[in-house]
Amino acid sequence: MMKLKRLIFMSAVILIITAFYAYSREEIPTIDNIVFDHPQRSAAVFDHDDHNEKAMLEDDCSICHHVYENKKLIKDESSEDYLCSECHFLKPTPENAIPLRMAFHKQCKECHFESNKGPVLCGECHIKK
Amino acid sequence: MHSFINFIMGPMVWISFLIFFIGVIFRFFQVIKLVNERENFIYTYMSFKYSFRSIFAWLIPFLPVSTRKSPVFYGISYVFHLLLFLIPIFLLSHVALLEESMQWSWFTMNDAVADILTLIVIFSLLFFIIRRIVVPEVNFLTKLSDFGFILIVALPFVTGFLAYHQFFAYQWMVIVHVLSGELMIILIPFTRFFHMFMAPFTRAYTGSEFGSVRHAKDW
Repeated sequence: MMKLKRLIFMSAVILIITAFYAYSREEIPTIDNIVFDHPQRSAAVFDHDDHNEKAMLEDDCSICHHVYENKKLIKDESSEDYLCSECHFLKPTPENAIPLRMAFHKQCKECHFESNKGPVLCGECHIKK
Repeated sequence: MHSFINFIMGPMVWISFLIFFIGVIFRFFQVIKLVNERENFIYTYMSFKYSFRSIFAWLIPFLPVSTRKSPVFYGISYVFHLLLFLIPIFLLSHVALLEESMQWSWFTMNDAVADILTLIVIFSLLFFIIRRIVVPEVNFLTKLSDFGFILIVALPFVTGFLAYHQFFAYQWMVIVHVLSGELMIILIPFTRFFHMFMAPFTRAYTGSEFGSVRHAKDW
């Protein structure tokens, strides 16, 4: 009898944990990928405020939201009022050699490799649904 | 972990291709030296005409008689060899990585298509394993290492498939995927995978012998 009770209790615990896990996975915010025509991978997982808190970037928007003029980085100027896709187009252009997909990938991965933190492999951001 | 992943997806790729290219050159010199030392009589009947005649005949699927005698094996073999190159070269995630590191970019196939083609490769390899066990005359010629080579080819495809679907242990799946791919590239010059380069020459040799000496077709 004790065994049966324990079994029921454990099953209930496991059920609740998995339910929470499944629910919380649904809630993970992602990057807005609407500009891509036919995205083949799920939108990359990204929680802006949570990320910046963990990475301690709260004060300096320009670390990610950079400004380039004539292919030179303008220091201390930031571009958070623009969309990434306003400068980075779907295909490389003479003005901007870095297309949008590459811009996203490089922006995240290069920093994660340098800081030894954060996702760097395809499926760590593009989580299969 | 980040620096390890960075190493196997960065410098290790260069190291693998360097060993591959140097190995291929070394092996070609080695084979030429061996031929000159021990079999230099083949130069007396090597012929461009019979060489290319044989190579072209064997390039046409199901033209040679032996391919028509085992159509299932040769059919699977043709498809397998094509996909072995097409999938990795035109895979979206591979091209995306090349684009980021080398600014190289080309046509990519749809992920869903690549997924099915990968399964075809895995099932072809299963077929090759079963064939080596079941068909007596093939089993007679099979060594344990033959299964090893099939597994080495299977590993990057199986781990790539599992990683794409993110079934379990995603990070390790990608790590084994990358390392097994690099292992295969490194092994090409030094193992029977070298038939990738030798095939046209063995064909040319057989074609020349059949054409110039036996006055017969070799297909």
